[in-house]
Amino acid sequence: LLPRLRPLSKSTAVSLLRPYHSYDHPPPPGPFTLTESTILSAAIPHIPSHGFTHTALSLGATDVGYIDASTNLFPNGAFSLVHYHLYTQRLALAKNEHILSPVLKGGEKPLGVGGKVKALTWERLMANREVIHRWQEALALMAQPSHLPTALSELSSLSDEIWFLSGDTSVDTSWYTKRASLSAIYAATELFMTTDKSPNFHDTREFLDRRFMDVQIVGGTMGSMAQWAGFTGRAGLNILRSKGVRI
Amino acid sequence: MMSTAPLRANPHELPNPAKRDFLTSALRVNQAGELAATLIYKGQTPPIVSSHPHLRPLMKHMYDQEASHFSTFNALMAKHRIRPTAMYPLWTLAASALGWGTAIMGREAAMACTEAVETEIGGHYNGQVRVLLEMAEQMEKNGEDIGPELKQLISTIRRIRDEELEHLDHAVVNDAKQAVPHELLTGVIRAGCRGAIWISERV
Repeated sequence: LLPRLRPLSKSTAVSLLRPYHSYDHPPPPGPFTLTESTILSAAIPHIPSHGFTHTALSLGATDVGYIDASTNLFPNGAFSLVHYHLYTQRLALAKNEHILSPVLKGGEKPLGVGGKVKALTWERLMANREVIHRWQEALALMAQPSHLPTALSELSSLSDEIWFLSGDTSVDTSWYTKRASLSAIYAATELFMTTDKSPNFHDTREFLDRRFMDVQIVGGTMGSMAQWAGFTGRAGLNILRSKGVRI
Repeated sequence: MMSTAPLRANPHELPNPAKRDFLTSALRVNQAGELAATLIYKGQTPPIVSSHPHLRPLMKHMYDQEASHFSTFNALMAKHRIRPTAMYPLWTLAASALGWGTAIMGREAAMACTEAVETEIGGHYNGQVRVLLEMAEQMEKNGEDIGPELKQLISTIRRIRDEELEHLDHAVVNDAKQAVPHELLTGVIRAGCRGAIWISERV
């Protein structure tokens, strides 16, 4: 029987995407080794000045005492910086205590799941503020065919993380629609943010609010239509049954 | 660069991506199965009960148990962040149609459908319990702590397997074997179940 325990997922990157989340056991190791993480975390502060480039990577390597040639550890080059940024910022979302377990003063209503999703999405967008002027480089790197799968999987993991942290427990088709819509909202807003020069990203905030409103309206309309169709169908069926049709 | 495999320094890690993958796909299939079961009973109940009112308590009892299994697995899926099967809408349609269709064919056919589904499900849960017990045994041999999660999962699936087999007994007692195309009906339904299980493990 045990030979049956073959991993169903082939590539390492994809198999880490949604592992069974255990509360008794620590999670599987991330996509970066210790050495890689050390160099990358040292390179992150250089991104605002040098962008998502090889230069930032070598500066990071020399900062922690490795030689310049250590950047050969990264066959994906500057994309590793982008990947590391996406990965660490996603994991940092869980630390938003003020959203996830706020101390409520008297009379304050707790944020529902929707409110937390909006708040966490904004937090994640703001986590890009230091590097936003370089983000278009990152987007260009992510768009490369060899890097696109990783970038998309990070986006979907981000969406899943936000919904999970907000307390979503749906496990039907809405699991997919919620994550797909949030991924689209996040990607669009992040792109908008790269050209936003307003103070405190005020325009981005409004853009995000409008996107959420769109999804709410469309979702609400679809839901109402489905509800009407369901009621009409069931009513028709019950009428036929009351007439004696054996269905 | 591929990350290196974790060293055996942490004995409390649930090692082996295969084990995590197994748990993920096992719970996904179980949730899909219970979804189908609740919909089959929901579809079967009105036609059956209108022609055989004495079967109402039995149908209600079986439906209630399936509904509780369904919510158990829903909670486990949400807790362990497992993606539900993408075939959810398709299984919803298929299970409702199956329940309603076999009920229209008659009481014996509905019971035969229950018999077929419960036989497959019982065997499926049995196999899962076996694999989980082997996993637990292996972890114990390696000196790793299984953890309360796994133990709880094993006992939950055992209990649910027993309840499914109880439904099987009810179906047989209620003349499931009397259904007119019995072999054909149960054969087709069992094959469909096996196919659905195979697909839900992957998709």
